[in-house]
Amino acid sequence: MGAEEGNLAAPHTIQAPARDTPTTFRTFFFFPLRVSQRTVEPLEYYRRFLKENCRPDGRELGEFRTTTVNIGSISTADGSALVKLGNTTVICGIKAEFAAPPTDAPDKGYVVPNVDLPPLCSSRFRSGPPGEEAQVASQFIADVIENSQIIQKEDLCISPGKLSWVLYCDIICLDYDGNILDACTFALLAALKNAQLPEVTINEETGLAEVNLKKKSYLNIRTHPVATSFAVFDDTLLIVDPTGEEEHLATGTLTVVMDEEGKLCCLHKPGGSGLTGAKLQDCMSRAVTRHKEVKKLMDEVIKSMKPK
Amino acid sequence: MTMSWARREHVGDGHTCKCKIISTFTSERTQMCALGLRWPERLAFRQAGPVPPSAHPLGQGPPGGPAAAPRLGCCSSGTAGGGAAPAAAIPTALARARGFKRAEAPAPGPRGRAEAARTPGAAMPGDHRRIRGPEESQPPQLYAADEDEAPAARDPTRLRPVYARAGLLSQAKGSAYLEAGGTKVLCAVSGPRQAEGSERGGGPAGAGGEAPAALRGRLLCDFRRAPFAGRRRRAPPGGGEERELALALQEALEPAVRLGRYPRAQLEVSALLLEDGGSALAAALTAAALALADAGVEMYDLVVGCGLSRTPEPAPTWLLDPTRLEEERAAAGLTVALMPVLNQVAGLLGSGEGGPPESWAEAVRLGLEGCQRLYPVLQQCLVRAARRRGAAAPS
Repeated sequence: MGAEEGNLAAPHTIQAPARDTPTTFRTFFFFPLRVSQRTVEPLEYYRRFLKENCRPDGRELGEFRTTTVNIGSISTADGSALVKLGNTTVICGIKAEFAAPPTDAPDKGYVVPNVDLPPLCSSRFRSGPPGEEAQVASQFIADVIENSQIIQKEDLCISPGKLSWVLYCDIICLDYDGNILDACTFALLAALKNAQLPEVTINEETGLAEVNLKKKSYLNIRTHPVATSFAVFDDTLLIVDPTGEEEHLATGTLTVVMDEEGKLCCLHKPGGSGLTGAKLQDCMSRAVTRHKEVKKLMDEVIKSMKPK
Repeated sequence: MTMSWARREHVGDGHTCKCKIISTFTSERTQMCALGLRWPERLAFRQAGPVPPSAHPLGQGPPGGPAAAPRLGCCSSGTAGGGAAPAAAIPTALARARGFKRAEAPAPGPRGRAEAARTPGAAMPGDHRRIRGPEESQPPQLYAADEDEAPAARDPTRLRPVYARAGLLSQAKGSAYLEAGGTKVLCAVSGPRQAEGSERGGGPAGAGGEAPAALRGRLLCDFRRAPFAGRRRRAPPGGGEERELALALQEALEPAVRLGRYPRAQLEVSALLLEDGGSALAAALTAAALALADAGVEMYDLVVGCGLSRTPEPAPTWLLDPTRLEEERAAAGLTVALMPVLNQVAGLLGSGEGGPPESWAEAVRLGLEGCQRLYPVLQQCLVRAARRRGAAAPS
């Protein structure tokens, strides 16, 4: 192979990020093709790392990427949060408006989530109405809100049967590198903790609502649901916090949403390879530890904001 | 008694709304002006008072609406902040009309219901791809008693400090984030990829080994506003304004990009406005040009955008780089896009009340000066991004 290198014009080289060991292939064309295994046989490439219980970016199988959160950056929104999980970046903005309560529940308000995956975040999305992935994510967030009772809808009612708050939670993904559900849940939680609603009173004589924009109060957040996502490789191996590439190669995914005191809020397993009961238990215990990590981060961030 | 909307006009960003109400009862025309993006008056004209159960039809619009509506009151008349002033502040004819409607409450059942049924919902009723919320919702600002403070007087040629950063998204080929005062915009570029419906072409080749005109590449621009970007939430399907701005982006960027070097290919530029603090289009233009440069797309020059607005009647002056408050109160607005090194205007978009042509020429000159002042910041940003990229990549 080496002897032919000198005889030909520039050999083809495909650039690959560091940490790769390029391997020369024997092809039936006679010039040497320096190709990275990562591009041609990504699954084999991953298996080599997984055998050693680690991943190409240096993480362990149960290790999360660096999580950063930034709250209150959007001043036009009533509450906002930006969450970065490695490269995956998600921003959530909360807008509160008035609406008439639903007829079947006149003492409740609304919480309306919406996850948007614009073409900006990844080349696989096209502009236009929400695709399948965005709809699934929106529904997942709606389920988390409903099941975990993160906000009691009764708290959002101002005057039963007449006026209530509707919280529009718009989550936009800015950079899609896997594990979107975890990032969205965290962003939603952080934004809700940061959200401030103005004080509303109903004037008895006129029956009009009077809003005092100067006096704002935080929402009453009852629980703190935290999502942990796993990817299943080869029907057996579970890795935490998959990147985009890992999600693509995985044979199944699983998301566990845990509450305080180890209460399970939501389990999302859209098909994929089966899991034994023991594996599921492992996932849940990992989710419990993840909840502690996230709660600590959130408390730090909120503490640094409060004195305002 | 019928109440109907004769005409509703939106000026500019939809912040100003003029309505004519023809009331057969009073037989006079009342003109009201209010700041508010959606005309909450519609609530006031629904049937008042508790609806007797037998009269309540199934499947009527917002269920709790009819009983609730008049209590919420209407929007104000002409106060800048658009608060819900108590009934006394409303022009008398209107108040009389509403009072009449209230007294008549149980009687005009069918008509009242018809009115209510006609009011459109704020959320898209047919959109089953998104989680459904209430049919209509109003922002609390409409019911707030106090007005916004008037914008402080300032030097008309001041530019807000700009923070620009390129190369921050991992999944896009090139990206840029620009923050100027309260305006935050993020832009990403992907491609070049095979253009859909690319035609075969002949024709004379352009200068410098470029493809003939029929084979030139295309630039597809997409402008999106985050729902929480403005004062009032905008439901996701943006509508005409976003398309107009996307077209403005495309028209301004095309002169700068060497599309002849990308035959039969298309470059996708998507801009996302995270927060609107004034001069949003100008910021989007600048961010888009930075993102294209970051993506390594061949360009003749960067494109720098600058926004201007003219203060209303007593002493109209053109202000460079207006804030959101200034834009809302402006009589006219203008956005210029300049290619600084070539010193050529790439795009110009203006709207508003007319004025003497000298005033507009003066505004354009001011805008071009502003663009030139902004250029060194963007140069530095690109140099830093290139250094970061060089340091990160393996040798």
